[in-house]
Amino acid sequence: MHIDLKKEIKESGPGKIGIIILLLMIAVALLAPVLARYDPYQQSTASLLSPSWNHWLGTNHVGQDVWSRLVFGARTSLLVGFGVGILSTLLGTIFGVSAALVGGLYEKVVMRIVDAFIVIPMVIIVILISAYIRPSILTLILLLSLLSWQGGARIMRAQALSLKERGHVAAARSFGAHHFYIAWRHIVPDLGPILLVDFIYSVRRAVFMEAGLAFLGITDPTVVSWGMMMRDALSFSYLNVWQWWLVPTGVALSLTIIGLTFVGHAAEPVIEPRLRGAEVA
Amino acid sequence: MFSKGNIVTYVIAFLFILALNFFLPRMMPGDPLMAIYGDEALIAMTPELKAELVERFALDQPLWQQLGAYFGALFQGELGHSYYYNAPVLPVILGRLPWTLLLVGSSLVLSTVLGITLGIESGWRRGSKTDRSMLAGLMGLNGFPDFFLGMLLLIAFGVTWGIFPLAGALTPYSGLSGLALLLDILRHLFLPVAALTLAHLAGGYLLTRNTMITVLKEPYMLTAKAKGLSQRVLKYRHAGRNSMLPVVTQTGIWMGRVVTGALFVELVFAYPGVGYLTYEALLARDYPIIQGVFLMVAVSVLVINFLIDLSYPKLDPRVSYAY
Amino acid sequence: MLEIKDLRVSYGQDVVLNGIDLELKSGETLAIVGESGTGKTTLGLSIMRLVEGTVRGTIRFNGKDLLTLSDNEMQQIRWSQIAMVFQNANNVLNPIYTVLNQIMEPMIEHGLKSKKEAQDRAAELLGYFGLPQNRFTAYPHQLSGGEQQKVLLAMAMANDPELLILDEPLSSLDAAARAEVGNLIRETDKHCAKLLATHDLDTVSKLADRMAVLYGGKIIEAGPSQDVLSRPRHPYTRALIRAYPNMTTVKDLQGIKGQMARPVSGCPFHPRCTQAIDICRTEVPKLVWNQGRHIACHRGGIITLLSTKNLTKCFGSLKAIESVSLHIEAGETLSLVGQTGSGKTTLAKTIMGLHQPTEGDVYLEGAKVDSRGRDFYKRVQMVFQNPGESLSHRLSVLEAVVEPLDIQEIGTDEERKEKARQVLGEVELPRTNDFLSKYPHQLSGGEMQRVAIARALVLDPALLIADEPTAFLDASIQAKILKLLLNLQEQRGLSMLYITHDIAAARKVSDRIAIMLNGKIIEEGSSNEIVAAPKQGYTRSLLRAASTLRSTKSTIDEGD
Repeated sequence: MHIDLKKEIKESGPGKIGIIILLLMIAVALLAPVLARYDPYQQSTASLLSPSWNHWLGTNHVGQDVWSRLVFGARTSLLVGFGVGILSTLLGTIFGVSAALVGGLYEKVVMRIVDAFIVIPMVIIVILISAYIRPSILTLILLLSLLSWQGGARIMRAQALSLKERGHVAAARSFGAHHFYIAWRHIVPDLGPILLVDFIYSVRRAVFMEAGLAFLGITDPTVVSWGMMMRDALSFSYLNVWQWWLVPTGVALSLTIIGLTFVGHAAEPVIEPRLRGAEVA
Repeated sequence: MFSKGNIVTYVIAFLFILALNFFLPRMMPGDPLMAIYGDEALIAMTPELKAELVERFALDQPLWQQLGAYFGALFQGELGHSYYYNAPVLPVILGRLPWTLLLVGSSLVLSTVLGITLGIESGWRRGSKTDRSMLAGLMGLNGFPDFFLGMLLLIAFGVTWGIFPLAGALTPYSGLSGLALLLDILRHLFLPVAALTLAHLAGGYLLTRNTMITVLKEPYMLTAKAKGLSQRVLKYRHAGRNSMLPVVTQTGIWMGRVVTGALFVELVFAYPGVGYLTYEALLARDYPIIQGVFLMVAVSVLVINFLIDLSYPKLDPRVSYAY
Repeated sequence: MLEIKDLRVSYGQDVVLNGIDLELKSGETLAIVGESGTGKTTLGLSIMRLVEGTVRGTIRFNGKDLLTLSDNEMQQIRWSQIAMVFQNANNVLNPIYTVLNQIMEPMIEHGLKSKKEAQDRAAELLGYFGLPQNRFTAYPHQLSGGEQQKVLLAMAMANDPELLILDEPLSSLDAAARAEVGNLIRETDKHCAKLLATHDLDTVSKLADRMAVLYGGKIIEAGPSQDVLSRPRHPYTRALIRAYPNMTTVKDLQGIKGQMARPVSGCPFHPRCTQAIDICRTEVPKLVWNQGRHIACHRGGIITLLSTKNLTKCFGSLKAIESVSLHIEAGETLSLVGQTGSGKTTLAKTIMGLHQPTEGDVYLEGAKVDSRGRDFYKRVQMVFQNPGESLSHRLSVLEAVVEPLDIQEIGTDEERKEKARQVLGEVELPRTNDFLSKYPHQLSGGEMQRVAIARALVLDPALLIADEPTAFLDASIQAKILKLLLNLQEQRGLSMLYITHDIAAARKVSDRIAIMLNGKIIEEGSSNEIVAAPKQGYTRSLLRAASTLRSTKSTIDEGD
């Protein structure tokens, strides 16, 4: 089962675009302090200004520079996104693979819990909890991860189950290997491509969620977030400030999500080879 | 793919929701009444009301008794008391429910039907220009969060061009009735539904398209072509019908997304549904309302998922039950 | 009704059909026979224009060339005039509709029936094909393989097509279902012409009027099925029949040497052919009509390797053999069965030139043999009865085996030794120097006879005359030698004249048997015919007297 993920993505038109967008966003996030021209939190009396040489995207209702907030917002989205991605993929893999290997009651219990969580809409729970506890970025990452690893766990378990039956695993078992060794040396490496796809989609979901929650106003107000910027912009839809305040922010957010979608889509044939075919430019 | 109709799963989910609802406020530091109702509420409440609530929810009793009281109240349809509206929670929610149902219902139906149709057409023409552009277009559309789409639509059609109203579900104090009323409602409904539908179109589209691609390679498609059937019949009756099945399974999960999407869209359009209610409650820290909505939404989603699981074998005769 | 001319189908570089010519008359059943991957299915699919590759040539159906029709026109023809019964695999039927529904569908969609009429007719068809009524509304996955096949048949007949294409209709069924479904196919709609694609010769013999054999993308033989099956004239057809286990053939199974691969030029079968000549390697033979058969072979089919005409040999007043006319085809085994004194050995020796015939002639590959020189002996070799005598006790194994090469001055010493090693390997003897230096008295009877056979092979003859080769050997060794001879025939395409008194052994190794009595051939025919339906009394008595393991008290007798 020799799968070349890099090749898959490289050969896909949207895949290439997706990678470029992501790299761009990551670059922006990393270089935020350099790119920003003002402190994103510094308020001033110069509110609701149109774009000018000083303020490339104008200022918001409390005089903060929109452009600076935009680039710092990238940090928040990507931080939460990748944080949740890593954690939830990790948890999903651990529970999914262990369930497949250990089997028995453990597997049954774990999978019941997994199924139960998949059915419940995640956002509602987060809203509920956030209503009581204002989550910091870290708490948010933790919370979102705890509620989203289940999807990946199902996939991982299914894969691990089929891999478990392979010859080289049986051989390892005959040498007396423990579950952990088998998981580590034989199963997880073959899971690589699927892990990546699951990761990408987790990141995507998390970016979405973070923006949405910030839009509702229940995340940490001391952190700049695209969602929060859009929330603030909402009240001023009547003025034409939306052109430089709302739209660039929304577009930045959408582009990030689109980039992730494209990459995820390009990587999908890795799991489902029948999808491969003449569909890209 | 989805575990078919396993009651235990749903029971666990339900219990989890109840547990969350119950334990969350009681785990907060300080006075449980304050946690349940929030400090602003307490300031507004009369001492008599406070005493009554403490008694009804056994807040000064040990935890297990509180649990009993909680369940007791629940089964009586008592979801708590909202200080903000100064009324029991359930009627308040029920009052707003119809608008949300209208919004969510239409969007779900539209996005599913449209998504499936586009997915079938796209999958049928796989690799062609139409397919590639639809694919790229919908994946792009998928990246736009529903609230952003909503805002764009609002600004474009509402503010700039003034075609559609900017807020609300109907024109207040208009005194319209019959057809005129219906049209008024539809005018107010249009943009929110458009936003919600467009945002969730891609899910059904992608899944249908993918399934279509694999279905087209099946032997029975060659058999059908050999039967001299028209393109339309091949596309819809044979390939399409088979491609729809995974979408139906997923509808339950998507419903959750559409419902939460409704929350955002209602907020953008100030549409007076349960979503907007929740938002207002969040601002006002009206915890009983938030909890009430949470419970209702979560349970409805569970029930609908369960019903979909039950009906799946009717669509796919290969599946049988394993309870 | 259906006429296919020069049909060529290829998928990219892969040429599947390389110029097919076929004709099918209304009401006729034609079987296309070939092993897997030869393109039988592709042929069926290209008639219905369901093939994805490049298709060239003409397919004339009722006068119209199907390959020139528009998609719309073809769509109308499909399933109303031409229908197909697909090979029964998973998911050939749409899993989400009932079988009744799927049969009704083409009737309704082609506008031929209303919904009610379609339902009635569909039920009628299913009933006719033997599906129990309670299964009508079942889904495909709920039916057994046999039931699914019946559904496919009923569905194909839905619009009373003129031409039915069947792809391996019986191969997924067990024996009982096979008989039942086979009957149904045969009896259904005698006006409907059927094109049957199969590798199974039993199906062909039961269902087809005519058969066409497909190899290497070309039809290599075609004719009435019973004719072709009982008397195949193309080496491949013959080999195919020899390889097919069935209750008719008595000869042991043999394979075909080599593998199916497309040679770059010439006849597609030539690498595996028992009688290939130079032209076979360079030019593709055309399918021509030749004595009641279509054959594609540069040599006109299996050639007659050796024949005798009125051969008579007298020793003084004793007529040892009288007016013997027989023939041996390339790559076949003819057994000469007779008792001691019948003249068998005399005949063999006369053919070999060890006796001069009193009358009559011997022909080798059509040319009269006047004198027998080296060339003759390069083509015909003999293995004698007693290896103890036929091998000189003075010569070692090596010397004995290379003797023919020495006499004919072929090759260098080293080459001769190499050749000796090769033939010794073919007769399954060791090739070690140790063995090569052994003398006959150091070998067992069986080993000696193998050495004799090896010696006979060293000139690469086309015909091997084996005179009672196992007469001096034990039974278990006899079996091995017989098997060896069969293998050699398979590997080298050797013809054999096998002389024996034992008809039971003869039938195991021969394609044809000739019975000899008092110097005359009194009966001759294919081994199955001779054994199952002997015409002469003497033959019958031979069969009766042949070794049998059944007690004589049994009333069932062979040959009567």
